[in-house]
Amino acid sequence: MSDEKDASRFERNTKRVFDESVAALDAATRSRLTKARHRALEELESPRRGWQWTLAPVGVGTLAAAALVVWFTIGQPPPATEDLQATSLTDLELLLAEEDLEMLDEELDFYGWLEEQPEFVTADDSVG
Amino acid sequence: MTGLALTIAGQEMGLDGEGALDTGAAIEAFLKDVEMRAYRIALMGVRDRDEALDIVQDAMIRLVRRYSHRPSVEWPPLFFRILQNRIRDMQRRRTVRSRVLSFFGGTASEEEFDPIAEAPAPRNENPLEQVQADDAMQALERALDSLPARQREAFTLRNFEGLDVAQTAVAMNCTEGSVKTHYSRAVHRLREVLAGHGEEHWNE
Repeated sequence: MSDEKDASRFERNTKRVFDESVAALDAATRSRLTKARHRALEELESPRRGWQWTLAPVGVGTLAAAALVVWFTIGQPPPATEDLQATSLTDLELLLAEEDLEMLDEELDFYGWLEEQPEFVTADDSVG
Repeated sequence: MTGLALTIAGQEMGLDGEGALDTGAAIEAFLKDVEMRAYRIALMGVRDRDEALDIVQDAMIRLVRRYSHRPSVEWPPLFFRILQNRIRDMQRRRTVRSRVLSFFGGTASEEEFDPIAEAPAPRNENPLEQVQADDAMQALERALDSLPARQREAFTLRNFEGLDVAQTAVAMNCTEGSVKTHYSRAVHRLREVLAGHGEEHWNE
């Protein structure tokens, strides 16, 4: 049997296993998905937000993200675990993943969250 | 960047040029069709039911809010591009949170995956078959975890969601050639990993 046919059969089987796991989703999850869909469809009747509001925090958010990367890459103490290399590669892959300017506003929630973190409050900020 | 203007075969919904009422019905049908698979894909990425549901809802809202006016053939790659971005966001947050916790001497144990708690609720018709199916899915998830992120994305979108190469390229924001390479390597690697987990099951 050719390797191509084996690969094709393998792909069909992985798809089947995935589909079975989807079919096994419980009623509670299905119900929550239905509610999520209805919530999303309400957006069809909502006025759109102006793009100016979505771009406003980008500069501050980008600076915060850059500070975070520098802090964690330079200020991090020596690691103690053996699987550091794999972990670092995964982290690096996540942190340096190619950004998509068209979808930049998808990241705003994350940058907003970063800015709210207490560890970014410096000593100067806490002095009266 | 692969443009959305490219021709995407299939999945016509007859939306172009029709009114808002038809748009609502068409996008609802689209979301209803993809929501459970999207949830399962998100769950594989974040290993938390609530977070996976939040991700799917967020992706749905963003698709409706920003792209409902686009031709319906563009919805699948756009939706899964948003979904993958949200999954990556969540993974980034966890990475940062885990580093913050470890920096201050804490642990992120509350985020560890509990396969029993996170397993789908069993169906009653045939418990043995359900156990075997769950076992196979867990093995597949573990194998997917061993892949680089881009290979995992390519495999998920092509195999699980059934996007074609062009749609996957749009969803992953890369070239069609890259999609083919990532997917081919993913299949090769998964076959190697899963060979030790019931060869007959995967190649029967």
